[in-house]
Amino acid sequence: MCMTCCDLVVKLNNFLNINKNTLFILSIFLIAIFFATIFYKRGSINVTEESFFSIDPKFDIVNPSFTINNPKEKIFVTAEKGNFLNNNQIFLKNNVFFKSDNFTLLSDEVTYDKKKQTAVSKSTSKFESEGTEIISEGFSIAERGDIILFNGKTLLILKQ
Amino acid sequence: MKYIITILIFFSFQAIGRESGQTEITTDDGIEVFNQEKYYLLKTNVIIISDEYELSADLVKAYFNKDLYDITRIFSDGNVTLISSKGIKASGEKIDFDIINEGLQIFGKNSLFTNKEIIMTSDEEIKINNITGNFLINGPDSRLKSDTIDITGYLIKGKFSQIKNINEVELLYVEDEKQINIKTETLDMYALRADYDKKINIIELFDNVKIFRDNESILGDYAKINTLTESYKVTSKESGKVKALLDKTDE
Repeated sequence: MCMTCCDLVVKLNNFLNINKNTLFILSIFLIAIFFATIFYKRGSINVTEESFFSIDPKFDIVNPSFTINNPKEKIFVTAEKGNFLNNNQIFLKNNVFFKSDNFTLLSDEVTYDKKKQTAVSKSTSKFESEGTEIISEGFSIAERGDIILFNGKTLLILKQ
Repeated sequence: MKYIITILIFFSFQAIGRESGQTEITTDDGIEVFNQEKYYLLKTNVIIISDEYELSADLVKAYFNKDLYDITRIFSDGNVTLISSKGIKASGEKIDFDIINEGLQIFGKNSLFTNKEIIMTSDEEIKINNITGNFLINGPDSRLKSDTIDITGYLIKGKFSQIKNINEVELLYVEDEKQINIKTETLDMYALRADYDKKINIIELFDNVKIFRDNESILGDYAKINTLTESYKVTSKESGKVKALLDKTDE
């Protein structure tokens, strides 16, 4: 018992012999590591959150694109976002474009049917072709683009 | 993003106004474009404004050649009014406007066509071609009126010619199973049929002919009137007699 107490006293004496400057630098180094770890973890969390929001779980597809195959012309359909309503119908949102060699049709919300190759919109729409501009309160495309119906109050400007 | 696009389109709606050379069409119930058949339907309260004309109707079917702006024919239905920059005014239940051939057909009750001094009315059909000058007024209450002549009959057809920017009747045929009437500044003529040719300045009247001039009236079955000299010859088929009534005047 007496021997054990003596060993402990010797070890404490050695600890008290450590240089104060060394101890201070060591402390600063440990604190720096601690904060660096915290900042790194926070940074990682931010990155994760950002990518989480850019994917937007509300939408099934980003930048969807389709083609309506009309015997006379191909009509390309593009949008920023899309949601599957069922196997055939897709709700397209933001910058929805219908483009062919002859015309461009822009709207913000369109329901597109892949199987029937039809489209319906109840949002303000703008149609442009050579010498023609149509602005309406919505539209629908039938017969693979052969028939385009502009709904609601409509303005048509013809330029010769 | 949705709101930005809606706002952009809304403002372009506001900003777009008709410029010279453009045609502006507005509808309350949309447009149906049939690319294959080359026409589009304009629905409810349609107003078309261009440099050449203004048209309003309940429903319009516009045929185009290559593109939508390339309109060849406009068929309008319901409360149709057409006003051209050249002074033509037309209204009726239906109007068929052939832009390429400059033809105009007005259908229905209270059909009306006016061009400067000429007024045409009918309860059935008015047909005019601006290139050939041919016209036809058909149906009940058909009438052709100008500053110098007033014609009524079931069928009035003929041809206009433009001399010094004034429309003149060059050829005329009028018929009505009841009675036709042609009034000039000096003559009031009735018959079942009438023929006029400006080249020879002759009006011919057929069947149940009555001619009134000042205080005289002449009845017969056939009359030939020289519009230059205002002399006329009246004959009767059956009796060979012509009835003439000469009223006494104070003089």
